[in-house]
Amino acid sequence: MDFEFTDDQGSLRDAVQRWVEKGFSFERRHGLAKAGGATRAVYAELAELGLTGLVVPESHGGLGFGAIEAMVVMEELGRGLVNAPYAAGALVAPTLLSAAPEALQAAWLPRVASGDVLVVLAHQEQAARYRLHHVRTRATASGSGSGYRLAGAKSVVPAGDEADAYVVPARLTGADDDTAGIGLFLVERAAAGLAVRGYPTQDGARAAELTLVGTPATLITEEGGALIEQAADVGIAAVCAEAVGLMEKLTAITVEYMNTRKQFNATLASFQALRHRMADVKMQLELGRSMSFYASMKLGEPAAQRRLALSQAKVQLGQSMRYVSQQCVQLHGGIGVTDEYIASHYFKRLTMLEMSFGDTLHHLGEVSAHMQDTAGVFA
Amino acid sequence: MDLNFTADELAFRHEIRDWVAANLPADISHKVHNALHLTRDDMQAWARILGRKGWHGYSWPKQFGGPGWTAVQRHLFEEECALAGAPRIVPFGPVMVAPVIMAFGSPEQQQRHLPGIMSGDVWWSQGYSEPGAGSDLASLKCKAERQGDKYIVNGQKTWTTLGQYGEWIFCLVRTSSEGKPQTGISFLLIDMKSPGVSVRPIIMLDGGHEVNEVWFDEVEVPAENLVGEENKGWTYAKYLLAHERAGIGEVNRAKRELERLKRIAKAEGLYDDGRFRDQIALLEVDIVALEMLILRVVSASNSGKQSLDVAGLLKIRGSEIQQRYTELMMLAGGPFSLPFIQEAMDAGWQGDHVGAAHCAPLSGAYFNFRKTTIYGGSNEVQRNIVAQTVLGS
Repeated sequence: MDFEFTDDQGSLRDAVQRWVEKGFSFERRHGLAKAGGATRAVYAELAELGLTGLVVPESHGGLGFGAIEAMVVMEELGRGLVNAPYAAGALVAPTLLSAAPEALQAAWLPRVASGDVLVVLAHQEQAARYRLHHVRTRATASGSGSGYRLAGAKSVVPAGDEADAYVVPARLTGADDDTAGIGLFLVERAAAGLAVRGYPTQDGARAAELTLVGTPATLITEEGGALIEQAADVGIAAVCAEAVGLMEKLTAITVEYMNTRKQFNATLASFQALRHRMADVKMQLELGRSMSFYASMKLGEPAAQRRLALSQAKVQLGQSMRYVSQQCVQLHGGIGVTDEYIASHYFKRLTMLEMSFGDTLHHLGEVSAHMQDTAGVFA
Repeated sequence: MDLNFTADELAFRHEIRDWVAANLPADISHKVHNALHLTRDDMQAWARILGRKGWHGYSWPKQFGGPGWTAVQRHLFEEECALAGAPRIVPFGPVMVAPVIMAFGSPEQQQRHLPGIMSGDVWWSQGYSEPGAGSDLASLKCKAERQGDKYIVNGQKTWTTLGQYGEWIFCLVRTSSEGKPQTGISFLLIDMKSPGVSVRPIIMLDGGHEVNEVWFDEVEVPAENLVGEENKGWTYAKYLLAHERAGIGEVNRAKRELERLKRIAKAEGLYDDGRFRDQIALLEVDIVALEMLILRVVSASNSGKQSLDVAGLLKIRGSEIQQRYTELMMLAGGPFSLPFIQEAMDAGWQGDHVGAAHCAPLSGAYFNFRKTTIYGGSNEVQRNIVAQTVLGS
């Protein structure tokens, strides 16, 4: 058992930190958000650093790194409040594409690794809430060749109008809620019958609604149910790690403010009611960090253990994010609820993350449904 | 980053598991698993069984007769003991006073006291708190005056856990009233059979006799029982607090009690009640998160590379979790948590239970565990300490 980072992981962290310090100031982020939240240019800079190929196998032009390296990068992107679809494009999409037939992998993964294309998962549907297997979108084999056509709609697709292609779950057989019969398909942005309605999101990025009407699609796998769970778990681990970076930085910003700002002729840091609040913030941060480690380290476990662990992690991180972000805003007073001050942007990003890949109540339900007689990290 | 134990560590875990299975008396583990009353003999029997194996002081280095285990091995030992239903090791001797004697005691003190602590033969108590010195421990008044080769001790200690069984007590006493309150405190070892020592029970809200007042009336203590230097006792006490104690989170015990909570909830027909079950699930997440935090501390301590200053967090979170599982168990008992039949908490009681037998100890445990956020430095004091490290001011 070992919770140390290797030297290589430390170098990776340093590289992302240096890029953030040099190239991603709050002013830049604020400007991007004000301009509508398009961040493909930021994604391209991450690609120049080689980060978009982080987890893509070396045989497909990537670096072939694993879950811990992904966690390190996400922590730093969080700390820097970087708005770019990194988790969606560079972590979740490669997980999905790695199940594709070899030719499809060879056609797409090298370009995903280089960042030339952005592929994102488009799985959410209007009636599904956070249920991964609730898929109403239908796939039918097209008359000619091996192609399929999709009909349906997908909601709140990250960077949806900036992506070049989508991984779309669509039902091959069965009822809307069946766990079996879900295929995963690659749909290109330029495909016929695909309508994309983009819009800004609360955290200064973009998302889109997709409408598919007889849209041509390429089959990735007919066994999509298990794969989408795995990809969602990769997404959860990324959310957890990003949240740790966000919470750590927001806490540091708040500490600095409390040691500077004076009221009643004393710094905020001198008031015990506020000091105790910071102790509780620290508690939630460290519990959150612990469970973020847990999430990333459990990604390689068999599905049942992995899913329970990732749900446990999301419950903890959800609570941590909510508490830390709300309290850090509160401790700032009025400045904390302004647009010009950085803390409110950390707050909004953390709030969005709680609702990504299932919110706290959803995952509490998952833990509740799947918990065993014995519990614990090694149970 | 690797969550897995090494092959050697896993082999160690199995060695401990097998040994505990073979050596922990079934009647004792039955009591622990069912929260029945543990007698002095139960506690001391387990201490002596561990002592014969050289594990009562399981955190001790080899030079003092301990096993010299790594932090990971200590954690695994604690986990295996807790899950098997072993009683908690009464900490005052092997966990609290022994490290102070090792670090600051004379060779004579080490030779005199450490063997009896390791063997489990000598029962130690702790004399820290006083009626006027709780969270503000440094304001303590119990006085030790040097007269020739003796100290004369006068005053009162309180909240002395299991002091009714104590044979020796380690005390913080005031030897000087000059300077800051912290600078006039000494660390004294006192034979509780000395004339002038009296122990009076404090009955707690659950009806149990767990803590005591200890009074000192002109008690003569040989000067050789002073640990280290006079007026340096506060430093030694702080050493004790700062001593690596991942165990204060009590997470292994919490895992065992979570299993019991699930058994009770099933028996009471609550496990399929979504509202109640979600509360168990939330507690399960809390426990896993605490375990991960503790494993980070254990790992850091094992590698010696980083210091993770989170003892205060472990105490706060661990105690909150202990209170939560006792609360949920009591609620699971429903109306059968109301009867107060103390004998029903004794193993082998032949009377008629009201409701299921597992309901008898539930409220008492809930009442009793309100102590966990109060003792060992109240959680509010812990928050002061945590805030100091976070804010740096």
